[in-house]
Amino acid sequence: MSQSLQSYLVISSALFAIGVFGLLGRRNLVAVLISLELILNSASLNFLAFNKFSLPDKSLGQVFVIFIIALAAAEVCVALSLILLLYRKKDSINVEDAKELRG
Amino acid sequence: MDLALLWTIQLSGLAAFLLIQLLPRSAKKIAPAIGIALSFLAAAASAKLLLDHANGFGLPVQFSHPWLAVSDRAVWPNIPVERYALFVGFLLDPLNLTMITLVTSISFFVQLFSFYYMNEDRSRARYFGFLSFFSFSMTGLVLSNNLLQTFLFWELVGLTSYLLIGFWYEKESAATAARKAFVVNRLADLGFYLGIILVLILFGSLNFTDLKSQALAQVLPPATLTLVGVLVFLGVMGKSAQFPFHVWLPDAMEGPTPVSALIHSATMVAAGVFLLHRAFDLFSASATTLLVILSVGCLTALTGAALATIQRDMKRILAYSTVSQLGLMTMAVGAGSSTAGFFHLSTHAYFKSLLFLTSGVFIHRFHTNDIWEIGQKGGKNDRLAIGFLAFGLLSLSGLPPLAGFFSKDLILEAIKEKNLFFYSGALFVSFLTAYYSFRMFLVIARGRIRREERPHAESRALKISRNVPLLCLATLSLVAAFLGMPSFHFNFEMLLTTAAILVSGGGLAILRFRDPEAAEQKLLAGKTFMQKILERKFFIDDAYEFLVKKVGLAIAHALNRFDRTVINGLMVNETSFSVMRLGRLAALLQNGALQDYLAWAMTGGVLILFAFLHFYRGTP
Repeated sequence: MSQSLQSYLVISSALFAIGVFGLLGRRNLVAVLISLELILNSASLNFLAFNKFSLPDKSLGQVFVIFIIALAAAEVCVALSLILLLYRKKDSINVEDAKELRG
Repeated sequence: MDLALLWTIQLSGLAAFLLIQLLPRSAKKIAPAIGIALSFLAAAASAKLLLDHANGFGLPVQFSHPWLAVSDRAVWPNIPVERYALFVGFLLDPLNLTMITLVTSISFFVQLFSFYYMNEDRSRARYFGFLSFFSFSMTGLVLSNNLLQTFLFWELVGLTSYLLIGFWYEKESAATAARKAFVVNRLADLGFYLGIILVLILFGSLNFTDLKSQALAQVLPPATLTLVGVLVFLGVMGKSAQFPFHVWLPDAMEGPTPVSALIHSATMVAAGVFLLHRAFDLFSASATTLLVILSVGCLTALTGAALATIQRDMKRILAYSTVSQLGLMTMAVGAGSSTAGFFHLSTHAYFKSLLFLTSGVFIHRFHTNDIWEIGQKGGKNDRLAIGFLAFGLLSLSGLPPLAGFFSKDLILEAIKEKNLFFYSGALFVSFLTAYYSFRMFLVIARGRIRREERPHAESRALKISRNVPLLCLATLSLVAAFLGMPSFHFNFEMLLTTAAILVSGGGLAILRFRDPEAAEQKLLAGKTFMQKILERKFFIDDAYEFLVKKVGLAIAHALNRFDRTVINGLMVNETSFSVMRLGRLAALLQNGALQDYLAWAMTGGVLILFAFLHFYRGTP
């Protein structure tokens, strides 16, 4: 496949779809977190692809991607610590065990 | 000068009421003095007024003041008049000059007598306050110059009579009687009120001076005139205790006896007949209305007289006699001679209040209302009272030349010219009147005169307050008869008829009660069919009871069920329940599962995105 915008977008949307599937389907919270990372990465890939094919200034998209990576790292920090707390409290990181907010 | 006198008459009752109400508890003792003094002031003022305008000099006078002006084409686009103006004011003409003298003088005498009668009652202050307020309401009614003002005071009269009938409210029967009087009157007043509204809307003026039959006939079609007349007459039927609204009057005997005297002569029941005379043009504008009035009056007179013949309670006999006399007055109005009706009202007022006060003397002394018991305990001993009783009863039965004779003759004559059928009814009423008057007297005056120790020595003030009103009322009833003489013309045939009726009615009573002991034995032995019917008061009270208890309650139950199921169940509860059910359904969404939330959010987001793309495609 040639190096066109479409191929980037296909990969990126595949990543997004896998991420969404993991987000909604997995029960393990760490796996859910990983799926979230996949969605973020697909977004980064989109930025890079559009930057490469449609923008004269080659650095703007990459700046965004660096921000996203930094944000993702921070987010993982917070999320992992929350998951750790949940584990201490419930002895489980299954998403189905945390249903206290049921209406 | 006139205006000042009118204000004095009008306000003295109210002033007495307010003063008595404002008295501190320690000074309540002087309440009778205030009531008597201010009612004397009113009586004196009206006597002065009467002297000033003897022979109708300088009358009628009207003092009128605009009160409310209403003009609303938006509500009634087709009304004949541009603006409705409501007035308040006094109207003074020969008619209410007579009436106001009557009202104030009788209420003065009744207050004076009450000092004797209510001497031992604990709540005397309340009694005198209400009595003053009663005369205030009645003077307002008599002096007012338009229908609306009359109606306002009319209602006040009704309220005060409620308060006074239920004066001994601890007594169950008194409270019930007061309620009955009030409710029956309200029912009838509804008609009066509707009549006033109709007159205001269709005719545009409520002033008595404008309500002339020709003017009315020009504006209103005959059917409407009849409707208005009958509606207003409905109010009169309530106040003046006409059939079938007469049921409250005998029960009103539960009040103190002087109050009965006032209600039965000058104030409450007189208001109806007074209005008949005052707004006579409103009724005489339609012949149908007059016929209705005539027949209702006849029915009332017959019912009252028939029921009076078997009562044992002294006050009830007098009450039913009042009912029948009111029927006679109404008949006179219906026969087109409201003057005769009004004349009878004024003579009747004096001798009937005399009779009631006399019965008060008996009741106060013997502590019973039963005529047989009074007779047994020595009713004859009280020479003065028995004399006044005889005088009053003879006036009532129409012995010439006592008061009742002239006025009753006028009425009979008027009815005879109109309709022979009703004339025979009226004659029968006179016959019954003579019969029950003689019966009452014979039963009370039975027994030997016995020496008995006086129950308690009475002070001089009490004696005065007992005897002076009786004497004055007896005198006034004679005077009133002779004042009305000018309109009376001697008619030999009439004289013969009434004399024959008096003799036959009295004779029958004497025949049956010449030996009261034997008559009582016979009475206790058994009752004839007729007596049973009369004792049940022609089943009228039973009919009302059936109407209220069975029909009324059934309707109430049905409405109650409707309220419970439809209003409350279907409309109120069902609304809240369905909202609650919806809420429960929506609460299912919030199940606490994180991923379900996410899924919902994403679905929503995608849908919004699709919608956005779909609707805005092509627009930049």
